[in-house]
Amino acid sequence: MVSRRNHFECDHASLRLALDDRLVGEAHEQLATHLEQCEDCRTHLEALSAGRDWWQKAQSHLSSGDAAAAGEPAMPSDTDGPWLGFLLPIDDERYLGRFGEYLVTEVIGSGGFGVVLKALDPALNRHVAIKVLSPQLANNGSARRRFAREAQAAAAVVHEHVVAIHSVSEHEGLPYLVMSYVPGCSLQDRLDRQGPLETREVLRIGMQTAAGLAAAHAQGLVHRDIKPANILLENGVERVKITDFGLARTIDDASLTASGIIAGTPQYMAPEQARGETVDHRSDLFSLGSVLYAMCTGHSPFRAETFMAVWRRLCIDTPRPVRETNPEVPEWLAEIIEKLHSKQPHDRIQSAGEVAELLAAHLAHLQRPNVAPKPARLSVRRRGWRRWSRRASWITLGVLTGVVIAALAWRVPGGAAGIGTSSGTEPRVAAGTAIVSTEAAAITQVSTPPADLRLADMDGELARAEAQVKQLESELGQPASSLGDASNESIVRLDAELQQLERQFDNGP
Amino acid sequence: MSDAPSTRYSLLVRLCQPADEQAWQEFTEIYEPLVYRLARRRGFQHADADDLCQEVFQAAAKAIDRWQQRSDRGSFRAWLFRIARNVMINAIRHRQRHPGAVGGSDLKRLLDQQPADDQESRQLIVEYERQLFQWAAEEVKKSFRHSTWQAFWQTSVEGRHANEVANELALSVGAVYIARSRVMARLREKIEEVEGRDLRS
Repeated sequence: MVSRRNHFECDHASLRLALDDRLVGEAHEQLATHLEQCEDCRTHLEALSAGRDWWQKAQSHLSSGDAAAAGEPAMPSDTDGPWLGFLLPIDDERYLGRFGEYLVTEVIGSGGFGVVLKALDPALNRHVAIKVLSPQLANNGSARRRFAREAQAAAAVVHEHVVAIHSVSEHEGLPYLVMSYVPGCSLQDRLDRQGPLETREVLRIGMQTAAGLAAAHAQGLVHRDIKPANILLENGVERVKITDFGLARTIDDASLTASGIIAGTPQYMAPEQARGETVDHRSDLFSLGSVLYAMCTGHSPFRAETFMAVWRRLCIDTPRPVRETNPEVPEWLAEIIEKLHSKQPHDRIQSAGEVAELLAAHLAHLQRPNVAPKPARLSVRRRGWRRWSRRASWITLGVLTGVVIAALAWRVPGGAAGIGTSSGTEPRVAAGTAIVSTEAAAITQVSTPPADLRLADMDGELARAEAQVKQLESELGQPASSLGDASNESIVRLDAELQQLERQFDNGP
Repeated sequence: MSDAPSTRYSLLVRLCQPADEQAWQEFTEIYEPLVYRLARRRGFQHADADDLCQEVFQAAAKAIDRWQQRSDRGSFRAWLFRIARNVMINAIRHRQRHPGAVGGSDLKRLLDQQPADDQESRQLIVEYERQLFQWAAEEVKKSFRHSTWQAFWQTSVEGRHANEVANELALSVGAVYIARSRVMARLREKIEEVEGRDLRS
């Protein structure tokens, strides 16, 4: 009797019918009851509806924004590897495994210090984000201390605009901290999707970020890595939550800073931080200026080709004024950004609290001009000076670049010889040369007159190209390699690169 | 994406019928964010990237018939991608010819953009997939009862236990299993429709 029933119900055809919604009434109920007991059929039903990778993708792509993973590329394949070895297997395929009492559903990020997992806390039936120190670092005394310190410092900050730390602990020798899971997306995601934000939004997000920073600063904590990817916007209300105090350290933590490692994201870093000098809460304010800049223009202020180039720009260059990129940005807001971008910390607005107040006052005035008075303008250096300073910076940059090229040119042959022990000699030399020519290109830009003059020189060549473009227009859909003429190296490069992307796309999901 | 049913009502088939407005709308909903992101990554400003999207889709609309007739047409999105590439290169060339032209995008910056590395391309592809899944989920959701959809969402996306979810939805646990697989099957089909697998063979 029992075996007959099982035999009958393990009929895969009924699974197919169920998927097509053609199984009704009692048959549906019978199958449902059977599925509760028969794992085989459950697995089969799932496989019938879609392969395993579909289920995984559905989860990673549909789960609303990934708190700590924001700004990181989604990384299913990268981090499935040895990293997760510390998870205990669990007999339920919806989970990657068990970590302590937590049921891990996915990896939502990984960085220099470890992985961030999304997990279910069964005791409280809620999702949490768990940051686990990487096993390699767990064996390293100073990293371990830093992690513990980070966690303690961050846990001390309780504020509506800072991601809450629930607990700090250790499991099987791995230190970890448990944070709230914030459903939503990061400011970086939003900028990628939407481009520049409206002034009101810039003020609202800027104000909340500044308020969260003020709370951290009050605890003696410098974030050190303020950037759009670390500013989460909670679903629905879009409330700001600052996350990843991953690099934050208490100011007096001299022993750990002594290692001299530059921590942080160069594009949003303060110059003193990039130079490895003393960092204080005003370094976060410089980064906040960069975040405001990014919200106004859609991109970070100090962009360049390489880490070194960003570094140089950060230390000596003044970013292109926001209003040149986006004329809709009010002058007073541009001034606030400029003030926060002062190279010298003492020239900036001096506290996050002041920034929050200032932005709040402007927001109030914007929303109710009749009730809230317009805040007074900041005193900012005159433009003329800035222009001059900018030119001076370019000259310095030119000199610096020259030094770098000289250094590279000097190093390349030795480096190539050193590395090219087997068959790799030639590619190495080529790579070295490529670096040199990139630097040389940078110098050309610095030392030649403004771009429009250079463009005039190119005009003749481009007139020829135009005929081709005309033809191209009529042939949209033809491979762009038919452009042929290498009249412009950049275009050829772009083209090659897009073609490569196209091939990758073709291999698709 | 292997066990696709043999015949399917495909978005691409509909796209080739000029009057199918809705198909075009669906099409742009899915692909526009992708083209937009691509343009932004290449250094185009927001407004320019928007224009560029427009141009790409206009070009695609004009050329899709011809593409359909080609024997060597390859995959649809590769084709679309090629158009995006051409339009972008055009835009840059145009700006070189007219340096004073409006638009804010700074030519020098466009040309100085660093090449996309592997990781960046991978990320772009992941974003595309994400877009596709989210779009398909919105579409598919409409055709299911609330509890069916929730059975899928709560267990497969939110990662909750089937028992718990069944309780909340007043379904049997087995019904939750069936429901989530039904939604998943539909989701997969929807995505395959868009990807036009059945046109490629």
